[in-house]
Amino acid sequence: MSEERVAALRNRWFTTSIGITAAITLVGFVVGFLWLPLSHPSDRFRGAWDAICSAAGLLNKPSSSEQIVTANYPTTRVEVIPHMLDSADAVSIGRGATLALRCTMCHGARGLSQANSPNLAGQYPIVIYKQLMDFKTGARGSAVMAPLVADLTASDMRDLAAYYAYLPRITDSGTGRSMPRIVASGAPLRGIAPCGACHGEVGAKAGAAWLEGQPVAYLHTQLEAFASNARHNDIDEQMRNVARAMTPQEIDAASRYYAEHP
Amino acid sequence: MTDLVSQPAPDPAAEHAERVEHRWATFAVAIIVLLVAVATFAAFYHTAVPQARVETVNPRTLHLAGEFIESNLGSALDADGSVTVRVIGEQYSFTPSCILVPTDTPITFRMTSADVVHGFLVDGTNINLMLVPGYISSLGARFDAPGERLMPCHEFCGVGHEGMWARVRIVDKAAFVALATRRRRLSCVE
Amino acid sequence: MWNSKRLILAHFWFAFAGFGIALLLGEWQMFIRSPLAAWISDPDLYYRSVTAHGTTMAYVLPTLVAMGFGYFVTEQALKRPMIGLHWAWLGWGLAVLGTISAIVPVALGRASVLYTFYPPMVGNAFYYIGIVLVVLGSWIWVALMAVNLYRWKRDNPGAPVPFPMFATVAGAYLWGWTAVGAALELLFQIMPVALGWRDTIDAGLARVFFSWTLHAIVYFWLMPTYIAYYTIVPRAIGGRLFSDTMGRIAFALFLVAAMPIGIHHAFEDPQVGAGFKYLHSVFTGVVAIPTLLTVFTICASVEIAGRLRGGRGVLGWLKALPWLNPAMLGTALSFVMLGFGGAGGLINMSYQLDATIHNTQWVTGHFHLIFAGAIVIMYFVIAYDIWPHLTGRALGCFGLMRAQLWLWGIGMIVLTFPWHWVGILGMPRRMAFYDYTNPALASLAMPVIMSVIGGAILVVSGALLFLVLLRGQFAPRSEPEAYRFSVAVRPPHRVPAALNGMGLWVGLMIALTIVNYGFPIAHAIATPGTAVPAVMVGERP
Repeated sequence: MSEERVAALRNRWFTTSIGITAAITLVGFVVGFLWLPLSHPSDRFRGAWDAICSAAGLLNKPSSSEQIVTANYPTTRVEVIPHMLDSADAVSIGRGATLALRCTMCHGARGLSQANSPNLAGQYPIVIYKQLMDFKTGARGSAVMAPLVADLTASDMRDLAAYYAYLPRITDSGTGRSMPRIVASGAPLRGIAPCGACHGEVGAKAGAAWLEGQPVAYLHTQLEAFASNARHNDIDEQMRNVARAMTPQEIDAASRYYAEHP
Repeated sequence: MTDLVSQPAPDPAAEHAERVEHRWATFAVAIIVLLVAVATFAAFYHTAVPQARVETVNPRTLHLAGEFIESNLGSALDADGSVTVRVIGEQYSFTPSCILVPTDTPITFRMTSADVVHGFLVDGTNINLMLVPGYISSLGARFDAPGERLMPCHEFCGVGHEGMWARVRIVDKAAFVALATRRRRLSCVE
Repeated sequence: MWNSKRLILAHFWFAFAGFGIALLLGEWQMFIRSPLAAWISDPDLYYRSVTAHGTTMAYVLPTLVAMGFGYFVTEQALKRPMIGLHWAWLGWGLAVLGTISAIVPVALGRASVLYTFYPPMVGNAFYYIGIVLVVLGSWIWVALMAVNLYRWKRDNPGAPVPFPMFATVAGAYLWGWTAVGAALELLFQIMPVALGWRDTIDAGLARVFFSWTLHAIVYFWLMPTYIAYYTIVPRAIGGRLFSDTMGRIAFALFLVAAMPIGIHHAFEDPQVGAGFKYLHSVFTGVVAIPTLLTVFTICASVEIAGRLRGGRGVLGWLKALPWLNPAMLGTALSFVMLGFGGAGGLINMSYQLDATIHNTQWVTGHFHLIFAGAIVIMYFVIAYDIWPHLTGRALGCFGLMRAQLWLWGIGMIVLTFPWHWVGILGMPRRMAFYDYTNPALASLAMPVIMSVIGGAILVVSGALLFLVLLRGQFAPRSEPEAYRFSVAVRPPHRVPAALNGMGLWVGLMIALTIVNYGFPIAHAIATPGTAVPAVMVGERP
């Protein structure tokens, strides 16, 4: 008994199965690409071809005459991309060290502050770079920093970032305070993710600063500034969203934890 | 037992079995055709439809220019009386983190992500979207009654995902319009 | 003739070992996010666990069971030694190596990306390499199924391919093709980033590729279960398969219609045009047809068994069924879960209803009911049925088997029904903890606690499975009688050529994939500027 050919027009299995499949596909196309889109006047398609192209997924921006509302305060102009300044060479670090001489008064000779200004040693380069740039454009206001960064070029800022990133971080004093709830868990229904999800204890996020060992007064001030919108150089309000929802006790607990942690 | 196995054809039992089988197959196909037709007509009568257009956007530069800069986010009252709400999802919050919308008004959500995939869901409604970086998600909606609803991120977006919740506050249409005369972009962020 | 016993046992043991560990992880996840536990201090532990649970349950367990059962069917249905035993061991080795390679970075917190990958988040390369190795191992199986069928047909020209083999090869081809989507995503999108060669990725395209795999993989998981419905259950309960032809049509339809429907997972996504979403939802309806046909054929086959056992009247045959037989019990429980799960699936299929529950706990409930419930319970039945033939020792403890199956069925219902409910209430899935003290979420607390209890029942059931199998390993030797598959009421003497081979159905499967996926993929590739910066997970400074 020899097998009949499957791929033949005489084979009814062949013609029927292909016919049914093609019919379903055809109906699906006609309904999904033509009938349904054109039945929605609110989509404002310019005719059948426009509807078909949109249903297929071709790029098609709806026309809008609406004006974009711009901010009446400067916002950051920096794009943050993961790992964007990770590879620095010795030349860049050396140049950064020279440039950093002007910073030692507040930020210490080795990037560790004696005053209440932030420690910069071991900070992520993208963080240093972004803050310098934001000071320069005015996105982050500071009477002290603004004149100091006025003459820095983008390349200078990258060198400074490389230098401070290269300096060793403050070492762990082994106090081992347990994480307060706000750092480990946040407050979900107030929209606060764990601080540690971005700032290092639990996870990391590009552009989020290394906070451990920063002066408590500095952390406190910054959180309050974010909460009040006095500081607004965080991209898309990501830090303001969090700080606004924090209670004074949580701001206190988080600042203390990070200040005392190393 | 064996007589069931090797009955010679033609055989009334076999024909009967085949008839029953055909009837069931027809019935199965009819069920499916009906279900697909119901879904199609629901789409035709506009209950909920997928977004009509595919639009792209660069997630790295959302904050520099275009409709997703921070001052343009939130709810805008359009000239035709409808409301457009623009929202960004990012690790790990929505901006604005409290969305203000009026009752009884056609609302268009335009949303995107600044980093990874997020999900947008308003509890107790069928408002449900994926935010995929690189693309703009849009959805039409309408709220009947004032109130406040939770708006969790429903797609795993990293280790802080469990903390990514926002709110939607629905206010009376008149109150919303009054607010909109004073500010061009509204939210309930305090 | 019988040379793959150790091979098959190795597949099943490895599958079940992974299953046992992942089962415990699953219950731990349920507990840790319930009101019974304090918020976990490191949420990443939860996401690691979800990744490990999903990876093991979705990729390792069903793949290894399908492979092992496929080798079993090959020898028993074709009644001759399997060709390519060494290759089969290589496939098993790749799967084992891949599993280890994938799980180690997950355990170390370097790949908490969940088993659905979620680019632009990218984890450690070894996680993805591991998955690729498992898939490669399974592709060896696909090839072996094809070769064995081809050689058999060459040696038996014109003879009907035994139905178990036909169905197994259909499942193999379905998997071979459906795995291509995720493989493309892994090899061309994610791995270059994970290995540091690229730092951007098109997240929208990745979601389209993954949807290619995501839905048909469910039918691949389903294949051993359906093969057991058709070829084991009627024989095990003393009946006949109602119709051989209808069975072949059902598997052929799965092959055709399981593939071009995956975009229904992307209904709420912005990167796919509305037209393709509609097209995929139509075919999602079509794929329910072979399941409806199966329900009919199996119910009819079971009725035959009831009547052969002396059942009379409209419902009397139900009473006459051998309810103490594990195969009967497992099938009944499986059908109950398939019924509820299938009804839920029809809801997911339509855009309008899907919008209410998309990505909520409902979805978790749905696929646990279908996969972990209806499908996996039949994996147990398969194991109980073939074990004596593999070990040469009888599995005597029917009481334990029944207890295990009952607990699995009940546990799965107690686990998933509350999940469906909280999903409708809007509970998002995959969160490490919830603030149940908030009035808006307080009503979720009780159902969530119920599903923790359901999970605990499942853990007990899992323990019983190991008890049954281990006791079988130490039972006295007894030579079982030759293995038999179910015989149809009218065994075919001749089968239409279209139902005696895969060519037509594989052709339609590929054609429909191209029609339904070709344009969305090509368009995403061609659109500039859709690649976004990758976000590496698990990097702790």
